Amino acid sequence: MIQLKHVSKHYPVGFGKHEILNDIDLTIFEGEFVSIMGPSGSGKSTLLHILGLLEEPSRGEYLFEGESVHKMNEKKRTQLHRGAIGFVFQAYHLIDELTVYENIETPLLYKNVPASERKSRVADVLDRFNIVAKKDLFPNQLSGGQQQLVGIARAIVAEPRVILADEPTGNLHSDQAKEIMELFKLLNEKDKITIIQVTHSDVNAAYGHRIIQIRDGKIA
Amino acid sequence: MIRNYLKIAWRNIRKQKFYAILNILGLTIGMTCCFLIFMYVRFELSYDTFHKQGDHIYRVVTDVKTPTELIESGITSMPMGPNINADFPEVKACVRILQDDMLVLAGENKYHESKVLVADSGFFSMFSFPLIRGDIKRVLAEPFSLVLSESKAKKYFGNADPIGKTLEVEGKKYTMKVTGIMKDIPENSHLPFDMVVSMTTASKGLGVDLENSWGNFGAMTYLLLEPGADATKLERKLPDFMERHVGKMMKTSNMYYTLHLERLKDVYMTSKKTAPVKGSVTNVYIFSFIALFIMLIAVINFVNLATARATERAREVGVRKAVGAYEGQLTLQFLCETLVLALVAFVLSLVLCQLLLPAFNMLSGKEIARYIFANAAVIWFFLIAVATGLLAGIYPAVVLSSYKPVVVLKGAFSSSTKGLFLRQGLVILQFAITIILIAGVLIVYHQLTYMQEKDLGFKKEQQLVIELRGIEKKEDKWVNIKQEILQMPGVTGVTLSSSIPSREHSSAYSKMEMKSGEMQASNIDVYFVDFDFIKQYGIKVIAGRDISGQMGTDSTRAMLVNEATVKSLGYSKPEDIVGKRFSQWGRDGKVVGVVKNFNYHSLRDDIHPLTIRFEPGSFELVTIGVRPEQAKKVVAGVESLYNRYAPDGRFEYFFVDDAFNRQYGNEERFGRLVLTATLLAISLAVLGLLGLISYIVIQRTKEIGIRKVLGASVGSILFLLSKDFLKLVLIALLIAMPLSWYLMYQWLQEFAYRINIHWSVFLLAGALALIIAFLAMSLQTVRAALSNPVRSLRTE
Repeated sequence: MIQLKHVSKHYPVGFGKHEILNDIDLTIFEGEFVSIMGPSGSGKSTLLHILGLLEEPSRGEYLFEGESVHKMNEKKRTQLHRGAIGFVFQAYHLIDELTVYENIETPLLYKNVPASERKSRVADVLDRFNIVAKKDLFPNQLSGGQQQLVGIARAIVAEPRVILADEPTGNLHSDQAKEIMELFKLLNEKDKITIIQVTHSDVNAAYGHRIIQIRDGKIA
Repeated sequence: MIRNYLKIAWRNIRKQKFYAILNILGLTIGMTCCFLIFMYVRFELSYDTFHKQGDHIYRVVTDVKTPTELIESGITSMPMGPNINADFPEVKACVRILQDDMLVLAGENKYHESKVLVADSGFFSMFSFPLIRGDIKRVLAEPFSLVLSESKAKKYFGNADPIGKTLEVEGKKYTMKVTGIMKDIPENSHLPFDMVVSMTTASKGLGVDLENSWGNFGAMTYLLLEPGADATKLERKLPDFMERHVGKMMKTSNMYYTLHLERLKDVYMTSKKTAPVKGSVTNVYIFSFIALFIMLIAVINFVNLATARATERAREVGVRKAVGAYEGQLTLQFLCETLVLALVAFVLSLVLCQLLLPAFNMLSGKEIARYIFANAAVIWFFLIAVATGLLAGIYPAVVLSSYKPVVVLKGAFSSSTKGLFLRQGLVILQFAITIILIAGVLIVYHQLTYMQEKDLGFKKEQQLVIELRGIEKKEDKWVNIKQEILQMPGVTGVTLSSSIPSREHSSAYSKMEMKSGEMQASNIDVYFVDFDFIKQYGIKVIAGRDISGQMGTDSTRAMLVNEATVKSLGYSKPEDIVGKRFSQWGRDGKVVGVVKNFNYHSLRDDIHPLTIRFEPGSFELVTIGVRPEQAKKVVAGVESLYNRYAPDGRFEYFFVDDAFNRQYGNEERFGRLVLTATLLAISLAVLGLLGLISYIVIQRTKEIGIRKVLGASVGSILFLLSKDFLKLVLIALLIAMPLSWYLMYQWLQEFAYRINIHWSVFLLAGALALIIAFLAMSLQTVRAALSNPVRSLRTE
């Protein structure tokens, strides 16, 4: 499903450049649950961003479902964003000005889903995550775990094929973390959503089928 | 989607009340100001556009060329128009108009009607001044016919039918018959009038020869051309026409007339020639610029605040992009938010405009509109508001929506230097505009004071003037009047004259001996005065002598001239003209003296050649020197004397200095308008600065705390926070100086007598701007500097 060929990423620093990723080859199949691990600054977040089309590789090729991403135009890429990829962030990144309901609804708005369908889909997700009672609250009225729940709800409401999660439990205590990871597992097994997560924790990493270790920009 | 945008916009406004209020307030002030000025400019440009045949109506104007000067005149002589009409088939009609005033008797009451026109019978057919009663072709046909405006008809006849009724005019001298009623004349007409008298009243009724006096100027002449006729072509044929009719006369008098045609629409605004009511293109430009400036300041405020605070929205942008928003959608979202603010400001502005309209009408000296909604301009206002919203929103929206989600979401993104340069540039622009306006106000008021205080070359204080109108023109009567007034307590002197400075005066076709010995003919300004005039007005005689009752021949054969006359006739010294010959209105004699130039017009105008003679038949005014403490008593005394001599007349009086300064009403209004605009601009700039500095203070709270812990004084922190802005104000000053010098230099060119722009004006304007900026910032900085560092550090 996802294939990286000789992907490198570097930033210009002064007259030289700072290598972050160096010649990465990676294949992830549909339905996999992959954990990416590595020390701080090893480039794992950058790798995730490249997978999520938020960043472009400096070199190399990225094939999404067999199609070369860097040959896509902006519009196609955004469509991919909307249809195929869902994001979950460590800091939740909910929009403070929107209620829980509206936050979850946002991706559907950008996908031009009709109002009635939007309503039923958001209702489904709320129901499924047991947060119907909280739908009119604003993010700052929720606990961290609840916020991340909303974050995941938002990520899956558009029915993506891949969820990219950047340390989804990094800001949570272990009970909440467990709950979230169970949820991921369920999504992977029941909904057949491919999940790629970046994590520091061995416990969380163990939920995945496969662990990819990154060190100094290379797959170890 | 839009609903979602609006929701977010609304929640953001509520969340950030301080900034929202700042923004809305700024935009509201800007729009209100812009709307009012827009209405004003629109009104000014609407003059004479209501005439249905307006595109085919032209005014005939004359350039008179003498060997020494070129006189540009908005008027013609009486025979010109009808002869053009007769000679050229493309001219469909011709109407001549004279301006007049009348004393109207209505029962016990006497009214002075100052807005009277005397017009040819085609007047109502040519111009679209609608008649309510009367036949458009007949109302001005007969001598002594009179057409009244609706409100004047009501004033004189109440609810009775005025048609066929009569009015006694000029102390029962004439009886005018009302033949028609017209709608009140709209204010945007360059011809303001309440009454029209038929031209035949002068010709047939009073036997004045209108048809042959080609050299006697006075009438405004309007031509109606056939549709399709080319005015430029016609204009080119006019020199031949003049040659044919008065070629010989022009040659013998050595005065050459060139006729030009002006479009009716141009008479009020763009024509350089005189008109009964005249607009000023410069003012229209200046006000349009001011409106633009103020709007710009408001927009800049918005852009600055929005970009400075962009970081607060950055995360939202990142998230939205990550969940699939196009950049364009985000731009649209942010634009929507600005538009919501702009529309809130729009609604508030409409309310404010309506509330301020009466005050604005007063300020501008005319009724521009009574209700803003009665005005199609509201549609324009809406467009302006939307345009403002777009203009203010587009840059911040583009900046915000261009944020890369990765950068933002990594959290490394704290404050942006992006747009800092632009922000600084905009602050400079804002303050440059403010300084230009401040300097403008200072210069306008400086010029006004200068005009009011300049030595005019004559004494204008404590001179009471009454009109002789209504008193029979007999010399012995006037001698008596003068003697009687002289004996009143409190009177220091009395003099009679045809005119006084600030009042209109006649000009006369005169022949004067030039240096070469030839007699030069020209139309020259004339004052007819008695022997006490020069003394009482304190006008200096610099060569020869004053005219005097002691010299038997002075009453008919002596003339005084001013310095300008000396120069125009080519003499180098005033002494040289003394003893030279003149011939004027049937009198021949010699110049006996030269008076120093005095400003008998407003200081806008140069001093023209003027001749002064004794001619009791032309006296119109009595000037009475009074002791200030007894002025009231003198007025009462003179009034009872006047009523004795002129039982049918109407007593009117004024003081010379008041009348002279009243000429500057336009300038004073202009000054007040610029002052108001400047205050608005300053308050807007202050608002903007307040927003920026408060944001910066919040951003630097921690830094301030640390500095204080390390021992920084309050003063040094104030300086730290203010110095960047003060630097910008200084740069603004440098930019503003040459610009404002240039603009005000142009404005001053309208005055023949003007101040020199001193560099200190700019220093003062800059200092004012600096102080204002500093004070505005202090509101925020002082609080930050005084705050307890422990608290600000603990929040981290």
